[in-house]
Amino acid sequence: MLKKEQNDYVTQTGPGTPMGNLFRCYWIPALLAEELPENDCPPVRVKLLSERLLAVRDSEGRLGLIDEFCAHRGVSLWFGRNEECGIRCPYHGWKFDVTGQCVEVPSEPAESGYANKIKLKSYPLIEKGGVLWTYMGDPAQQPPEPEFEFCSVPLNQTFTTKRLQENNWLQGMEGGIDSSHVSWLHRGDLSNDPLFKGSAGNKYNMSDLSPVFEVVENDGGLLIGARRNAEDDQYYWRITPWVMPTYTGVPPRGDHPIHGHFWIPIDDHNCWAWSYDYHPTRPLTDAEVSAMRDGKGIHVKYVPGTYIPLANKTNDYLMNREAQKAGRTFSGVEGIGMQDASLQESMGPICDRTKENLVGTDNGVIMARHRLMRAAKALAEKGTIPPGVNPEHHKVRQAALLLKRDVNFKDGAKEALIAKKGVRQTSV
Amino acid sequence: MLSESARMSSAQEAAYRIQYPNSKQRAAKIIALDKTSARIVDEVSRLPWHGAAFFASLSFAPKGSPGDGKDESLQAWLSDLAGRTMELVAEVEASDFVVVLTAAGEDARAISIIADACKLHNKSLVGLVVPREGASDDAVNASLNYLRPFTRMLVVANGVDYVEAMLRALRA
Ligand code: FES
Ligand SMILES: [Fe+2]
Repeated sequence: MLKKEQNDYVTQTGPGTPMGNLFRCYWIPALLAEELPENDCPPVRVKLLSERLLAVRDSEGRLGLIDEFCAHRGVSLWFGRNEECGIRCPYHGWKFDVTGQCVEVPSEPAESGYANKIKLKSYPLIEKGGVLWTYMGDPAQQPPEPEFEFCSVPLNQTFTTKRLQENNWLQGMEGGIDSSHVSWLHRGDLSNDPLFKGSAGNKYNMSDLSPVFEVVENDGGLLIGARRNAEDDQYYWRITPWVMPTYTGVPPRGDHPIHGHFWIPIDDHNCWAWSYDYHPTRPLTDAEVSAMRDGKGIHVKYVPGTYIPLANKTNDYLMNREAQKAGRTFSGVEGIGMQDASLQESMGPICDRTKENLVGTDNGVIMARHRLMRAAKALAEKGTIPPGVNPEHHKVRQAALLLKRDVNFKDGAKEALIAKKGVRQTSV
Repeated sequence: MLSESARMSSAQEAAYRIQYPNSKQRAAKIIALDKTSARIVDEVSRLPWHGAAFFASLSFAPKGSPGDGKDESLQAWLSDLAGRTMELVAEVEASDFVVVLTAAGEDARAISIIADACKLHNKSLVGLVVPREGASDDAVNASLNYLRPFTRMLVVANGVDYVEAMLRALRA
């Protein structure tokens, strides 16, 4: 459990909050590159960390994330016209470039220099791995670009989606590092989903339903190892990395692409659940990509033209009690992504952690919260740069492997846990 | 019309989560396996807790001490921080979960008898390895290896603040 004050502390990410300041130390995914497909395309409204912004791509392909509202009288610039290197407010014609600088105030003589004194707040927007990333912190502290493996491999080896999730970011992230739910909630899918089935590891998952856990700190966050009994004096280890504040990696299965998530706060009651899937050494196959597009694996099907999952709370997640009874799905909801999202949304917009009853095996979650609070405090009090800002911390990889029982996973999986160019993932 | 799920997951409806307690107090026993971790346990024990009991050491029965019909190999006593002595098996029996602490590289052999007591009464055992200042990886590894067969959850965690956070999270 957390006390109410602690729960507020870790869940609130608006401007000026301690956790909000922590988030503003990192490059975070803001939108998919496909959302700004060409120069002078329509701008996109983006709300992040409780700030309403507008993503724009200008005539020369420059990207920017600016205050959504016109500095004149507050019209949403989403209605703006994307003209030669700037977006023009449709109300009285003020024009802004991708840095938020006002470049034209038609009612004032150009020579007056009036426009120079008008500037909307803006954040940098960069493209990497099919994702547009932003940094919303102090420009003087801007860190080097992110180097997560999924956004560093060639584009034909990686596939990323996002979906709207209507709850606080933290309950999503906590689901991502809690691998004890997999043998329950997702049990039907281990054997059916095209992006999961057929791996040797699945049999260990299902034959030993009470994994034993180890949690160790890592430079950028945590490594959470879950071990299950395997034959010949070995353990089957599934190792989940968490890179602060919100990157998680799901341990791989067989040669399937490897995947994981970010949960990025929109505001305190909503987040974007980002799902990446990539293979370190080969292009994704057509079958894999079409399965991902079709909402398999950790991805979802969408309400057409949106990033809202097709099964969502307005249609009771297409609950199928018959499938639940027959054991095809454990919760009655179809698809791994929506199984997680539906339960996490059901906790309410912000999970009330004062009422929870954690057990010893929840130490991964306990430790993650502890590290978040500790880092936010160190940042607030001493200006300490938090773990996970340094791109070296991004070069961690999830792993699934068999190890002799007397071997520590951090040692036995040492190489497996490093993202190395041209080296295949370690997986069973 | 809003679906039931849409309505029920709203902030407004969250306010109607009923306010009755959903658990009873659970008894936690926190046992230091060595002198270094005993200092941490001592420090943490001074904070206010809901019935958690803290022990600084474990001693074994001298040969030939009067048995009470229980397994002789489990005859061991825990000393609490006030210096009182309690019987290990009885303490474990009266607990809901047991946490043991060891400082990296220290002698952690006492865990085996604690684990036996936990097994006897089906209690879950969490192990915490505290990497002392300057402790080598080998020392941490040795402790992990030693504790691994006995615990359901094994954590490498720094110092007093994590021990406190974990015990609070577990409502100790
Ligand atoms: S069993 Fe974990 S939330 Fe219900
Ligand atoms: Fe899940």
